[in-house]
Amino acid sequence: MRRTRTGPRDVSREPEPRQPGRVLDARLHLLDRQVLDVDGMPVCTLDDLELEAVDGRSAVDERIDGSVPVVITDLLTGPVLGTRVFGGRPPASRWHRLPWAHVVDIGTAVRLSVRSGDLDATWLERWTRDHIIGRIPGGNHDPESSG
Amino acid sequence: MKSRLLTVALGILTAIGGFLDAGDLVTNAVVGSRFGLSLAWVVLVGVVGICVFAHMSGKVAAVSGRATFEVIRERLGPTTAGLNLAASLAVTVLTLVAEVGGIALALQLASSVDHRLWVPVAALAVWLVLWRVKFNLMENVTGLLGLTLVGFAVAVFLLGPDWGDLAAQLVPQVPVQESAAVYWYFAVALFGAAMTPYEVFFFSSGGVEDGWTVKDLASSRLNVMVGFPLGGLLSVSIAACAAIVLLPAGIQVDSMSQLTLPIAEAGGTLLVAVVIVGLVAATFGAALETALSTGYTLSQYLGWSWGKFRRPARAPRFHLAMILALVVAVGVLMTNVDPIAVTEYSVVFSAVALPLTYLPILVVANDPEYMGEHVNGRFMNVLGTVYLFILVVAALAAIPLMIVTEAGG
Repeated sequence: MRRTRTGPRDVSREPEPRQPGRVLDARLHLLDRQVLDVDGMPVCTLDDLELEAVDGRSAVDERIDGSVPVVITDLLTGPVLGTRVFGGRPPASRWHRLPWAHVVDIGTAVRLSVRSGDLDATWLERWTRDHIIGRIPGGNHDPESSG
Repeated sequence: MKSRLLTVALGILTAIGGFLDAGDLVTNAVVGSRFGLSLAWVVLVGVVGICVFAHMSGKVAAVSGRATFEVIRERLGPTTAGLNLAASLAVTVLTLVAEVGGIALALQLASSVDHRLWVPVAALAVWLVLWRVKFNLMENVTGLLGLTLVGFAVAVFLLGPDWGDLAAQLVPQVPVQESAAVYWYFAVALFGAAMTPYEVFFFSSGGVEDGWTVKDLASSRLNVMVGFPLGGLLSVSIAACAAIVLLPAGIQVDSMSQLTLPIAEAGGTLLVAVVIVGLVAATFGAALETALSTGYTLSQYLGWSWGKFRRPARAPRFHLAMILALVVAVGVLMTNVDPIAVTEYSVVFSAVALPLTYLPILVVANDPEYMGEHVNGRFMNVLGTVYLFILVVAALAAIPLMIVTEAGG
C-alpha cells in the first residue's frame, strides 16, 4: 500500500534548495559567537539575530514561518542573558543592535568593520573604564616588561 | 639559532617550575605521609592527562585564535555553558583562595609572622603584578624561581633512603592501616591536583596572550611534553620526602611546616630557605594564573575584552573581575579558615569540574571548521577518549568518596 500525504503541503519542512556560495547555519555559525571589531577587540557575544522578511514585514510583529524568505538586518546583543537562559523575550528596547552591513567576515568569530568604542553595545565597558579602572594609577599604561 | 635554543630551554624550565601549585604541594605531602609512594601512579596518570589536555587546548587557541570559554559558550549555548561557567568559576576561586593562603603560609614559614597578616600583602602583590607586569615576564620569573623546588628531589638523595624499599612502595596497594575508600579518595584528590581546570583556561588564554600561531605549536608541544613530566617527577619527590621521613614517624601533614620537615632533616636551614623561595614562587605563580583564569572565563563567556596584552583601560571589566576575585579570596581567608583544608577541598572539587571543560575542547579539537588540517589525529582521539572516561569516573566518584571517608578522615 502506498503511503499518501495528507493535509496541506508544509513548505517549511521541504529541504532547502541548494544555494550558491557559503551556507551558514544561524545557530551553528552565528549564535554565541564572539564578535570582534575592526582592530580585533572583543565587542560582545552574539545573542540573537533580527530578521526581516524581504517584503518588509518584521519578524517581531508577525509570525513568519519558513516559507517566507527573510534577511538578517541586525546582530543583537545586550543584557539579555537572563531571558535566553530562562525563556521569555526582553522588550525590543533592551537589545543593542549591530547592523548586518557592518559584518565583514564570519569565521571562528564574527568580524565587524567598525570600532568597538563607537558602539552602544560597549557602553558598560566604557563606564567601567571611566569610573573604576581608568582611575586606578597605571590603568592607562601598557604593562611593564622590566623593572 | 642560539636565541631559539634559549627560548626553548626557557619554555621547558618555566613549564617545570610552574607545574606545581599549592594543591600539588599539599596533596603530595599528605599522600606521601599516609600512603608512601603507593599512589605515585596517579601522578603519572595525571601528568599524561594534563599533557593531552594542555596540548589540545593550546592547539585550539593557536589555530583558531579562540580561547576555551569562547568555544564552550559557542558550542554549548548560554544555558549549559552558564552552568559550566558557574562550576568552573567556583572551583577556580576556591583554588585562588588556596593559592593566596599558600603564599601567606610560605611567608609565615620564612618570617614567623602570622599568615593572616600576610594574606592582604600577598593579595596586593598578586594584584600589582596582574596590573602592571607583562605576561611573559610574569611567567618566566615565577617559573624559574619555582625551579628551586628541585630542593625536594635533592632532599630525597640527601636522606639516603633504602632505594629497594622505596621502589617496592611504588606498587599500587592499600596500606594496612588505611581503608580502600580513603585510598581511592586520595587517588581522586591527587588526580584533581595534577589536572586542575584553571590550567586549561590558562593555557588556552595564555596561548592567545602570547600570540601563538600554528608555527609555535611545535615548541609549545615540546614545553608541555618535557616540562610537565619533569614537574610530575618533582611532585613524586615531595611524596617521597614525606614517605621517607613523615610516614615512619607517624606524622600527618596539616601545616606547611611539616612539608619542610624532611627538607630540614636532609639539608638543614640552607635547603629549607631555598625550598621556601620555591614555595612562595610556586604558590604566587599559581595565584596569578588562577586570578587570571577567573577573568578569562567570565570575560570569554560574556564576550568582554580580556587579556594582559592589553592595557587595563582596554580590558576594564576583565581587570575588575580579577580584583573582585582577589577581594573574595582575602575575605574567605580572613574568616580564619585553614588554608591547608581549603587546598584539600579545592583539588577534590577540581576533579568534579574537570569533564565540563574537557569535553568541549575534545569536540572542538575535532572540528575542521575551527581546526582546518590540524584536527586531532587518531592517536590523540583514542587517548582523549580514554581520558574522558577516566575524568568522568573520577568526577562521579569524588563526592560519594568524600562523604564516605569524611574527607579522608
